[in-house]
Amino acid sequence: MGEVMTMDEQRRLESLNRPIEHDTTQYIVTQLGEEQYGIDIKYISNIVRMQKITRVPKVVKYIKGVINLRGEVIPILSLRLKMGLEEDVITKKTRIIILKMDQHESIGVLVDEVKEVVTLDDEHIEKVTYDKDDKAKFLCGVGKYDEKLISLLDIDAVLAENEG
Amino acid sequence: MDTSQYLEIFLDETKEHLQNLNTQIMDLEQNPDNMDTINEIFRAAHSLKGMAGTMGYKRMQTLTHDMENVFSEVRNGTIKVQPEMIDVLFKCLDALEEYLDNIQQTTDEGTNDNEDLIKILNTILNNEKGEPAQKEEKPEAATAQAAGGAPDEREKWRAIKPNDTEKMLIEKANKEGLKVYGITVYIEEACVLKAARAFLVFKALEKLGEIIISQPTAQDIEDEKFENNFSLLFISGNKQEEVVAAIKSVSEIEEALCSEYVETQQASEEPEKVEEPPKEETTATPAKPAATPAPAASKPDAKKTPAKPVVNRTVRVDIEKLDNLMNLVSELIIAKNSLVSATGAQTNGDNGNFNEQIEYLESVTTNLHESVMKVRMVPIESVVAKFPRMIRDLSKKLGKKMELYMTGEDTELDRTVVDEIGDPLMHMLRNSADHGLEPNDVRVANGKPEVGSIFLDAYQDGNNVVIEVRDDGGGINIEAVKNKAIERGTITPEHAENMTEKEVIDLLFLPSFSTAKKVSDVSGRGVGLDVVKSKIESLSGEVEVKNKFGEGSSWIIRLPLTLAIIQALMVTIGNEKYAISLGSISNIEDISPSDVKLVQNKEVIHIRGTVIPIIRLNQLLDVESEPKDPDANMTVIIVKKGDKQAGLVVDELIGQQEIVIKSMGKFIKVPKIISGATILGNGEVALILDANTLI
Repeated sequence: MGEVMTMDEQRRLESLNRPIEHDTTQYIVTQLGEEQYGIDIKYISNIVRMQKITRVPKVVKYIKGVINLRGEVIPILSLRLKMGLEEDVITKKTRIIILKMDQHESIGVLVDEVKEVVTLDDEHIEKVTYDKDDKAKFLCGVGKYDEKLISLLDIDAVLAENEG
Repeated sequence: MDTSQYLEIFLDETKEHLQNLNTQIMDLEQNPDNMDTINEIFRAAHSLKGMAGTMGYKRMQTLTHDMENVFSEVRNGTIKVQPEMIDVLFKCLDALEEYLDNIQQTTDEGTNDNEDLIKILNTILNNEKGEPAQKEEKPEAATAQAAGGAPDEREKWRAIKPNDTEKMLIEKANKEGLKVYGITVYIEEACVLKAARAFLVFKALEKLGEIIISQPTAQDIEDEKFENNFSLLFISGNKQEEVVAAIKSVSEIEEALCSEYVETQQASEEPEKVEEPPKEETTATPAKPAATPAPAASKPDAKKTPAKPVVNRTVRVDIEKLDNLMNLVSELIIAKNSLVSATGAQTNGDNGNFNEQIEYLESVTTNLHESVMKVRMVPIESVVAKFPRMIRDLSKKLGKKMELYMTGEDTELDRTVVDEIGDPLMHMLRNSADHGLEPNDVRVANGKPEVGSIFLDAYQDGNNVVIEVRDDGGGINIEAVKNKAIERGTITPEHAENMTEKEVIDLLFLPSFSTAKKVSDVSGRGVGLDVVKSKIESLSGEVEVKNKFGEGSSWIIRLPLTLAIIQALMVTIGNEKYAISLGSISNIEDISPSDVKLVQNKEVIHIRGTVIPIIRLNQLLDVESEPKDPDANMTVIIVKKGDKQAGLVVDELIGQQEIVIKSMGKFIKVPKIISGATILGNGEVALILDANTLI
């Protein structure tokens, strides 16, 4: 269950490479199927490798179960199932991104792969304007980076629906 | 003096004293002549006054001072206890509680002088005693002095009787032109190291002259066997002011009373003593001039024994520190479990010694856990002690006669639970008082004693603590509840026909449900029982109602002893592991599939004369497991809740284990059957099944 790199380390590396610009946000880019999704770094407390997930019966489908992260029991959410994609296929690249919300509650999000950390200028982020379909309702914008398009996840929206 | 560091202690102790006063005054109302109660009240009021004074809460001090005056007169027998007086005293306690609340919230006592109360207190004093002028003066004088009564009373050195040798010393000193002073030193009530302060006073004085008598004896003072004052006879060539200055140079000295010791006083002493109120009597009467040390020692003892033990063997600890300790113990148990499972994995047989050590570790961690749990346990007394007063007030307010009987106040519960349990219990008692008990005339008409009884019983039952609130009132009127529910549209009339009594009672726990015809100040706002239920459930407890229409109802709260660590049976279902609390398991049976019968399309088994429904956990929990040999025996865990039972079918038993309950977070809505999760020795997470929800 080794961690890839703590966020502090990543942030430090990042700041060495780039001059600090104004109005920029850092995103962790993850792969889900064919598409790339960005998660605002401020929510992320940790990224861990895939480990045994204990299934919890009778819960919504996109909750895969719970894991033990250093003595804490943390629920795991499948981003794929949540966004209406097909079931996760666990590979060596599968990662669990641990998000820490304001109320000090943690939740893990299952992604196919963690790619890189990017810093996006506000001007490179386009707000989603078209009618939000199933997938788009979890997005807060689209970022352009190196000719690629990264869908930026609205974490609050992703997690909010659990409560319903 | 900076008193902020004592604020916590002040709050705690004041609460205790107030509670004590509440209880004692209740007592006084019943037995107005009980001298012990009166003394106890006097002492508590006196301590309160002293503490308030030390902390600089003048208003609080003034009020307690006047209360103390009243008690003092009651003690002297000049005032008789009257019902109106009790009411006034309770009002005073409420006012004091208000001060305390203010202090707790803002560290300031607020600006309410409670002049009306003080006036009433003084009226009581004046009317009954007929010495208005003197009494009027008293509060101010005493406020200035910060504690104690009239100056004469405070100069305790006057009670010292020198023996012959000492008399000689005094005479000799007088001849030599030295002065003999009588000194009484008061140390601040909040002072922690009284003996050390006293020692410093002795040191300071010895530089100026010679101490000939001290009362209590120097030895007792050194052992801290004295209250907050001690008295000395002291020979010195220095002036009085210099002596006082020397004493006051020691910190935490509240007051040093010093005046010249005059020989003639001795002659007048004997008759003077007799006139004085009982305060000094204890020492003065048995004292003989020849035996100074005896009264010296007996005085603090006599005063103290009933108050509190000299050696206080308790420590106040912040609950947060205990939580921290508890968490560490939990971690330790998880680590121990992983060690156990690591040794289990190594099958080579030559680690006998290692196993022994592991077992030793296991017993140590178990004991450690128990000890920490015990440290966190407090008697529920701290919560229930306020109820008799509440019932008394309710009785007056509702115009019903009622009596509260409590047992098991010493039953202990986890501190966090005790803190939370007060409100639900209060709700239930109010319910019993308001809805449960019939009006007195109805009771008499129904052939019951006029005075209604409410019982609060607490006791330990296995791993649970049970608190029962019972009344001998009318019980729950099932039909009235049904009608109300139909009226509110909660249920349909057809539905109501088929409801069992229990289902109807459950309606009471729904939010905003109240059968009281009119909303009263006491209960009936419909915010009661659903709050009670959710509170109890948040503490992992449950509420059960037993009802006998016409004879009363009892509300039974069942709470787990511990919240964090439990003994559990680990089982496998398919390839998943689950934990079931050992507390709910009654036994385990090996059942042949042919013994399973169908009753009303539900599977049951028949064991030793009882029919027990069985639940196949693999189906209930949607566990995927390969079909097994249909003829193979099944392992059935029989769980019980109250007198009901159910059999849970599992695949395999792993064994008993101590598990640490972990919360699963707010993000997932787990079904009720899962009460939490735990971390196994190998780092895996296993879910904990709450068998109670299955019955």
